[in-house]
Amino acid sequence: MRRAIIAAALALAVCAHLRAHDVSKTPITWNREISRIFFDRCVSCHRPDGTSFSLMTYPDVQPRAVAIRDAVLSRRMPPWGAVKGFGDFRNDQALTAEQIELITDWIQDDTPKGNNPRMLPPLPKFAPTPAISVPPDAIRLSDTLVVKSPIVLDGLFPQQAADGSQIVAVRPDGKVVPLLWLYGYDDRFRHPFLLRRPLALEAGTIIRGVKAPASVLLLPQSPAPSPQPPGTR
Amino acid sequence: MAAPRRESTGSVGSPLRAFPVVAVVASIVAVAMHYNGFVPAGPPQPRVDPVFDIRKNAVYVCPMDPDIRSNGPGKCRRCGMALVAGIPDPVEFHLDLTTTPSAPAANQTTTLEFHVHDPWKDRPVQKFVIIHEKLFHAFVVSQDLRYFNHGHPVLGADGVFTFPVVLPKSGMFRVLGDFYPDGATPQLLTETLFVPGAPGEPPVLSRDYSTKSDANMTVSLTTLPEQATAGNRTRMTFHVDPLDGFEKYLGAWGHMLAASDDLIDMIHLHPLREDGADVQFDVVFPRPRTYRVWVQFQRNGVVNTVHFDVPVEEAPK
Repeated sequence: MRRAIIAAALALAVCAHLRAHDVSKTPITWNREISRIFFDRCVSCHRPDGTSFSLMTYPDVQPRAVAIRDAVLSRRMPPWGAVKGFGDFRNDQALTAEQIELITDWIQDDTPKGNNPRMLPPLPKFAPTPAISVPPDAIRLSDTLVVKSPIVLDGLFPQQAADGSQIVAVRPDGKVVPLLWLYGYDDRFRHPFLLRRPLALEAGTIIRGVKAPASVLLLPQSPAPSPQPPGTR
Repeated sequence: MAAPRRESTGSVGSPLRAFPVVAVVASIVAVAMHYNGFVPAGPPQPRVDPVFDIRKNAVYVCPMDPDIRSNGPGKCRRCGMALVAGIPDPVEFHLDLTTTPSAPAANQTTTLEFHVHDPWKDRPVQKFVIIHEKLFHAFVVSQDLRYFNHGHPVLGADGVFTFPVVLPKSGMFRVLGDFYPDGATPQLLTETLFVPGAPGEPPVLSRDYSTKSDANMTVSLTTLPEQATAGNRTRMTFHVDPLDGFEKYLGAWGHMLAASDDLIDMIHLHPLREDGADVQFDVVFPRPRTYRVWVQFQRNGVVNTVHFDVPVEEAPK
């Protein structure tokens, strides 16, 4: 009878285990979900020989989990420095809402590593960080600016950032185009915000949202290379 | 060196003597499995709440053309190769918001137009998966947090979702799009819209947990812990009254949108479980701000929308 009771208890334990690992309750793991986010968004700086401590491996990340959660939720990291959904940028490094939720849930659930290392993605390859070049015809914006002649805007580059600045373009027909909402921009991680699609601004457009002494460079699109005449190659 | 195998000498060594134990265990397992919802036989149950879960949904990708994706098996429409299941990358699609007229005017109909492009080649996306009974959910919130609209843009033949709204004032509006491109993961993307004119006033919010009433329901709120802190789970329990006629709205027992008072955070959630008249949402508020939280519940076919204001403090270090 004693063995029967033990067997019954074991059976209940097995069922409880099954419930805890119901498909929809399968935990988020480092091996499967979280490493992909870190490889995509963090390790270009956070790696051995990078500019900051390594977040390449589970032992690197796990002890810093709470600090990582706070940095991610407060938008301090990655140091993108702008509010999502206000302007659209091809070099956007901010975490998506889904990525933030995955990291938060993972840390709330005690950072499971996962038991299948084959789920880990391949290690990323690192290309040299391209130097930031400012075109000579960049326009400094430190107050309201009226566009005198049409320009094609390719990006914005904060020089002296004023946190919270909402930079917009007001077209002659009154339409207000959101360009950039600075939030947590850190001069230590200076970078331009490159528009996903160049934006044609007609003469008479007003660009506003920066108050001196803060300033932002407006980066015009580089002119397309001239087609070479036949026979010059 | 392998350990010597031990012979079984216990009372369950004989099949006949083991029978009562096996029977007891089998009965308990059967009851427990039924309790857990593992019913092995019977008619298939339709899924009424097709919430995407990255942990169990595979995405099928063409090995040659990684931009060709599907949520089910099939062949690449470009090269004909069989799609292979892989781990879905939580990649972000592009959402472009345009309006007609180009410059919206307050108190006049403005049509919001949502254009979705893929992140790989920036091509228009025209195939979407239904999520909570709709192809697209849009939430529109004014800067002062007094205007709230949850609607469902309609997909046109040109692949553009359109959604007519009447925006009541000038200033900034934040628009949250919730949609699910086929072959990807669900997207929650925010856009910003301005109605020309005087800028809206930023809201000044303070704690408001008072019981609210709408069309045919009363909703009250309690939170656990009592004081929400940034970065930690807060269980928000909404008690709905009366309970009779309470029903799912768009496949869920409730819908929540939480917006921070600076409109930077927009959080869209559904309840994790329901227990009688209590509907519970687990929320992680990202930053120590005050959040306005709208919840929608349905009773007898009527949607009730109420809101509460939740101050969130910094978590103790």
